[in-house]
Amino acid sequence: MTLADFLRDRLRLTGTHLGCEHGVCGACTVLLDGEAVRSCLIFAVQAAGHQVRTVEGLAKGGEPSPLQRAFLKHRALQCGFCTPGFLTTAQALLDRGLPLDRANLPELLAGNICRCTGYQPIVEAILEVASTR
Amino acid sequence: MKAAPFAYHRPRSLAEALDLMAEHGEEGKALAGGQSLVPLMVLRLAQPAVLVDLADVPELQHRDGTRIGAMVTNAALERDGSGLPPVVAAALPHIGHFQIRNRGTIGGSLAHLDPAAEWPALALLLEARLTLRSRDRSERTLGAEEFMLGPLTTALAADELLTAVTFPEWPSGGRWGFAEVARRPGDFALAGAACTVVGGRRRVVVFATGALPQRVEDPSEIEATGDLHAPAAYRAAVATRLVERVLIQAGEQP
Repeated sequence: MTLADFLRDRLRLTGTHLGCEHGVCGACTVLLDGEAVRSCLIFAVQAAGHQVRTVEGLAKGGEPSPLQRAFLKHRALQCGFCTPGFLTTAQALLDRGLPLDRANLPELLAGNICRCTGYQPIVEAILEVASTR
Repeated sequence: MKAAPFAYHRPRSLAEALDLMAEHGEEGKALAGGQSLVPLMVLRLAQPAVLVDLADVPELQHRDGTRIGAMVTNAALERDGSGLPPVVAAALPHIGHFQIRNRGTIGGSLAHLDPAAEWPALALLLEARLTLRSRDRSERTLGAEEFMLGPLTTALAADELLTAVTFPEWPSGGRWGFAEVARRPGDFALAGAACTVVGGRRRVVVFATGALPQRVEDPSEIEATGDLHAPAAYRAAVATRLVERVLIQAGEQP
């Protein structure tokens, strides 16, 4: 059983979405020991002894995180299917503390697919959070 | 899209891992970062009965200069590529998306041996030496050409593990080039090329064009095959241009 299936079907943490189930779309991205990984490309048993943070873990005390608030403000989602993967990916990039800008961000986000083609507001939302660090 | 049932072991030492590989033989399969094997398993193209997860084998996690333990991740090498040939650093960002590089390992990529992958091409280009260990036979070290038998097919016996990859010291004054074309950054290459120029000796490799990475003296030798991603003629044409591009990067007259 993959980590994604374990999160969704056993723990009922359905915030993590499954699109392609073979590592292409990025919807299932979670943070494993703080690093963004595809939860469809890890068996649940491999995560034993490690910390897993899903999209449900981004909000604190029921309040959206700064990144989630920026996604709302910039309308960085349409259908919402890809959103958990973008949020966890962006959180990992922000946590790394590397400089993020219009030049490097599109490439860093290339592992996540949004079929509503809403990339621009996603980039704007992430850059806003990056600029306030 | 669900893997067939399998037994799972996570050995704590190389000796224990080699025991498990010897015990399970053809039924067993080593699991490195899983970024190639897990997709094959969920698509049921691979159905190993036993997985031997190498994540906690300390002997495979180390890098000692140009000798890289099989379980060192692409992300770790991207963070610290010091002492490695610069063409490796140039190729690393092309190995999947960064989320894939966080898990994917050098040894896993070579043992999987996808013809479109970067590590097999780098191993061939740089004349890397691959160390293979098993419980019952002596350690052996193979060159990339001896190791790579065909697409997804290596010289690894069922009870053997690839434990380390050793690159030659990169000489000062060495020149190099690397280029590939993919639909998205991080996707599998549709064609790629890399070269080194050391002491006036030029070495060129193309990859993602055919069954295996191919060393060529001249682009006319490229043996391209087609699939649903790209026809053979396209791959050959793109690879030909990429060879020119990497030679120019290396300061050569293509």
